[in-house]
Amino acid sequence: MKPDERSFRIALVADGYVNPPPDGLDALAVLASAGWGAMQLPADDYPADIAARVLAEVAEQAEEFSRHGYDFVLIGDRDGLAEALASAGLAVPDQIVPAGAGELLEFLNARPAPAVSTWSWLDC
Amino acid sequence: MERREQPEQRGVAFVAHCLMNQNSKVGDGAHCAGIYSPVVDVLRDQGWRIEQMPCPELAFTGLNRFWAVREQLDTAAYRRHCRRLAAAVADMIEVRASRGEDIVLIGVEGSPSMGVHITSSDPARGGLPEWAEGTAELTSGEGIFVEELREELGRRGIVPGLGGETHALPDHDELTQQTRLVSLLDRPREKPSRTSPVGQAE
Repeated sequence: MKPDERSFRIALVADGYVNPPPDGLDALAVLASAGWGAMQLPADDYPADIAARVLAEVAEQAEEFSRHGYDFVLIGDRDGLAEALASAGLAVPDQIVPAGAGELLEFLNARPAPAVSTWSWLDC
Repeated sequence: MERREQPEQRGVAFVAHCLMNQNSKVGDGAHCAGIYSPVVDVLRDQGWRIEQMPCPELAFTGLNRFWAVREQLDTAAYRRHCRRLAAAVADMIEVRASRGEDIVLIGVEGSPSMGVHITSSDPARGGLPEWAEGTAELTSGEGIFVEELREELGRRGIVPGLGGETHALPDHDELTQQTRLVSLLDRPREKPSRTSPVGQAE
């Protein structure tokens, strides 16, 4: 069996960077090259009640990662995210609103190593 | 690479959480550091909008969960959890479908939760773990979340296209997987609507 290849690094990503407009920044390509996972935030065109439920689920999942020491960053922004994270006992992570791929990559590469480096709590 | 020409949007692909975040996988299950590019790149290149679904197992059974088969997760509480998540995803899909956008779901074949055509099953599994690696558990069928989501969409008269990432299958081949995905995306489908009859899933 291949070893588990997870990075323990996750970016909360505004929809405009997951589904960028023409000539927009494709954050998924940068995250893939840098070895980060992504948690997509709901697009701004969803009704507020639907977006709030999605954000609550994002926060609940982020809470589980956070409990285990995974590193988080925020790319872009989303109304209601701070409140949803607060409901899960989480602060808004370090944020970037990148103008370009180079700036985003530099930001990601400058992060300190995550607090955890193995998936199993037995090895922590 | 990072600023690519986006083709005209052809539809919306709701993808399993782990296809964009392998950190959510069960221990020893992450195939790469984060984003599973073989699927994401096809969706991008084919002009599909990407929407990430929640991982039903992550919040319920946690990061330190054991590998499990369908029967171990098929509890009333897990079903309720999946229905709650499925309702939230179905709300998003309904918004897209009401605009006439084509919808596909991309799950994870072999998963007890996210399997689309193949799930894992072993009615005898439980208690002290004693199953050797390679024990046959893959079987035709859907995972629990996909089943709940499809039923919720059916109640709303929405029939999505269905496909699955195949990395966990013994005969996995990346090129074959991508070819099948392109075929799914290219397949003619009736535009979803809230009033269309529920039909046979692909």
